[in-house]
Amino acid sequence: MVELNPKFLEDIPLTSYSDNPITAIKTGTWKYVQPLYEDRLPACSHLCPAGNDISKAMDLIARGDVAAAARLWRAGNPLASTLGRVCPHPCESECNRGQFGGAIAIHMMERFLGDRSLDESFLPEKAKPTGKSVAVVGAGPAGISAAYSLALAGHEVEVFDDKPEPGGYLRTGIPDYRLPKEILDRELDLVKSLGVRFTCATQVGADITLDDLRERFDAVIVAVGFHRSRPLAVPGEDHPDVLRGVTLLERILAGERPELPSPLAVVGGGNTAIDVARSLLRLGVEPIVVYRRSRLEMPAIPAEVEEADKEGIPFHFLTAPKQVVVEGGRVTALECLKMRLGEPDESGRRRPLPVEGSEFRLPVAGVVTAIGESADLGLLPEAARDGWRVAADERFATPVDGVFAAGDAVSGEGTVTAAVGAGRRAAAVVDRRLSGRELPAAAPSLQRLWRRQIEAGHPVYVDQLNPAYFTQVPRPQLRELDAEVRSSSFDEVVQGFTDEEAVQEARRCLVCGTCNECCNCLFFCPDVAIHKRNGAAGFDIDTEHCKGCGICVEECPRSALTLVEVES
Amino acid sequence: MRMVVKGNGAVAHAVRLSRAQVVSAYPITPQTSIIEELATMVARGELDARFIKVESEHSALAGCIGAASAGARTFTATSAQGLALMHELIHWAAGARLPIVLANVNRAMAPGWSIWTDQNDSLSQRDTGWMQIYCQSSQEVVDSVIQAFRVSEKVLLPTMVVLDAFFLSHTYEDAEIPEQAVVDSFLPALDLPHKMDLEHPAALGNLVFPDRYMEFRRKMDLAHDLALDVWDEVGREWGQLTGRPYGVVEEYRLDGAELVLVTAATAASTARPVVDRLRDAGVPVGLVRLRVFRPFPAAVLRSLLGGRRKVLVLDRNCSFGHHGVFHQEVKSALYELPHAEQPRVCGVIAGLGGRDITPDDLGEMLTGVWEGRIQDPVTWWDVLPARDPATAALAMG
Repeated sequence: MVELNPKFLEDIPLTSYSDNPITAIKTGTWKYVQPLYEDRLPACSHLCPAGNDISKAMDLIARGDVAAAARLWRAGNPLASTLGRVCPHPCESECNRGQFGGAIAIHMMERFLGDRSLDESFLPEKAKPTGKSVAVVGAGPAGISAAYSLALAGHEVEVFDDKPEPGGYLRTGIPDYRLPKEILDRELDLVKSLGVRFTCATQVGADITLDDLRERFDAVIVAVGFHRSRPLAVPGEDHPDVLRGVTLLERILAGERPELPSPLAVVGGGNTAIDVARSLLRLGVEPIVVYRRSRLEMPAIPAEVEEADKEGIPFHFLTAPKQVVVEGGRVTALECLKMRLGEPDESGRRRPLPVEGSEFRLPVAGVVTAIGESADLGLLPEAARDGWRVAADERFATPVDGVFAAGDAVSGEGTVTAAVGAGRRAAAVVDRRLSGRELPAAAPSLQRLWRRQIEAGHPVYVDQLNPAYFTQVPRPQLRELDAEVRSSSFDEVVQGFTDEEAVQEARRCLVCGTCNECCNCLFFCPDVAIHKRNGAAGFDIDTEHCKGCGICVEECPRSALTLVEVES
Repeated sequence: MRMVVKGNGAVAHAVRLSRAQVVSAYPITPQTSIIEELATMVARGELDARFIKVESEHSALAGCIGAASAGARTFTATSAQGLALMHELIHWAAGARLPIVLANVNRAMAPGWSIWTDQNDSLSQRDTGWMQIYCQSSQEVVDSVIQAFRVSEKVLLPTMVVLDAFFLSHTYEDAEIPEQAVVDSFLPALDLPHKMDLEHPAALGNLVFPDRYMEFRRKMDLAHDLALDVWDEVGREWGQLTGRPYGVVEEYRLDGAELVLVTAATAASTARPVVDRLRDAGVPVGLVRLRVFRPFPAAVLRSLLGGRRKVLVLDRNCSFGHHGVFHQEVKSALYELPHAEQPRVCGVIAGLGGRDITPDDLGEMLTGVWEGRIQDPVTWWDVLPARDPATAALAMG
């Protein structure tokens, strides 16, 4: 205690200090700005086409609450286990941890959360029945996603598909070594548990018409996807040993093990081409991938291309087919042209241009085409088509009243994750329609769907973090089957995370833009004006004493705090 | 253990033996190898300390102040511009009465940019309340750093241990590195009387009104008075423990000396053989080496210099507009002598920015003063002459 009436130097302390409460002076009157805890969008979620709340889930796992994280993930995403395996994970490309040891293995975390939440207890609570009904055409990822969100919103949902089982391309186009079908089945069971009915082997447009559906249901969502192989348009293509990639995958996935000639040229650079080539390898056939651009322009998931490399599959880049050479009734070669890259085209990738006189023959016994797919829009009237795609506006509405559309048949984005996100957004629009409210001008963003207070702008990228607080921690190595073992088996290649590995990985997450209660703001506040809430998450700011110095904002490692002007 | 060690290495070994708990530092030539070596020691587990990497010298000392306020034994090191950047917190450390030890490798201030030695960096911090001690050898560096912790923790003032760039910091020589047990017996763990107490939260360094500020300053000044005796006692005790006693100044061949050279740091070791040579030639020369500069040993200097005919003060620094700093201080100390005992005092400014001060230079200075050829109050040594000092000052070259 400071002596109030010192008589001698001995009565004075060594140096000045005050044990008066610091709150005596109401420094809050000085401020014109004040910190605000914002739930800002991290870079990963900003780039997630499915709209997953990634950093919040990582934070929950890091704190040991895997169940809560799984429930959060399942809130709008019925296909977490599936996506954890097949998503090209654009989220990881800009993960801010990338600067500090390597991006979080978000796809592995999604797979972990999905695999640990394959029973109904992790599903969100279903809203009260609305008495409204929706037909979804197409049981692929967009349709499943839309059906899930609509069922959760209390609507009755029936999904129609022309295949014998639901799943769409997930079932017919993605090989088992990437997506074991029991995973898909279990996720479909979750959707069914919400009351969604799947009516399979029923082709809308043939077995039943769109108008029938419009009559029976309050709304219709068309999510038919892409599954028709586009032709090569070269001479010799009609030979029976020129196969369609999509069809071939479907046969293999149905359990067929066809006798095929070898080697086979696989033409294309997308996921279908890679899936076909890797599947052929497992059937004992020698695949040779032929692609007209270079590795850099391949639309396939880079990690899948790397896996194909590891498995020893040869690639011919900058090579385009000119004709299928048939001699004595058998395919003997694929005549190709060498290409070079020109200026970027409308896709942003450099356009391949033929090199005059560069023809050469690749000796093969057959060809598989995998240069892209298109939609079968036979069910829709002319007015609802726009070339290769469904004519739908920014709220997924087609010109046909009560008919909405989502997924690849609208956007052609070509990933499961984009289809899941689109299904979810379309469902939000349809839900609004069914509740009798006016439709918005555009479908809400995914981020608006999961964190209502967030505006989609201002995502937190690495330049907004405080790097002083983060150290390099390396990204874990994934466990994979040996390339030797794989070449003869359709067993899943990549092994999932253990609980321990998942918690470790979640702890690497920087939790960008979201307060994770690290308490740095509280430690640094020179006015002791930040207080941890009692028994609740987060902090309160004592506005009587916060003088708006901004130190808390500066020292927040993750940009979860912003200075805002105080209204005078 | 005897080791061949450079001055910077000597600092690091002494800090290790002193069991510093927090080292917070920013690298700068010619100090860098001190903290590199300390970082290595910490990494290897030879020193159980927290090494704080910082982004500036200002932060380096701020780190020490925080740690010291919490009661930790703390060390930092710097040079020249780095020390200048610390300046605000140099005052704070002393005013907060924190026993921080700082090694400053004397380096000339820019511009012109220089990495070589002179004393203007440390002497610019003269009035901050820090103690300052100037060393002449690696051995003295080892011993002085350890003593500095002991004295600082006794009188609750920070100490700057000063060594010349390159001549000392980077020159290898033989030194005895004491055993840990010896240092432990000499330097007990720090128990800071006013360390932070979490049970009794307080705001440190808060606003003090005019009715109280002066008392804090008076106590600092009294601590300096006390420190002069403590340096003396501690130097003697160290001598009993190691056979290497130290005083606040070092006397050399003062018996019968009529001209005494007063200087500090490595220039003094250069001067010793010169004194011997001049003695052999019949010139009655002696040497006083200033070791502890703050607190200033004025009474000791009066007793050693009173009654001599002449005193030459050699400064490797300049207080622009008024002499070298040591020169001013020595002269003001001698003013209190009875007039008859006051020697005639001349000053020489030499060796700035790392220029050599050779035995020949010292011989010429001393004979020049002895023979009356050097009579000016201040002489700039070994420097180009001015055609006309008035125009030279502003000439564009």
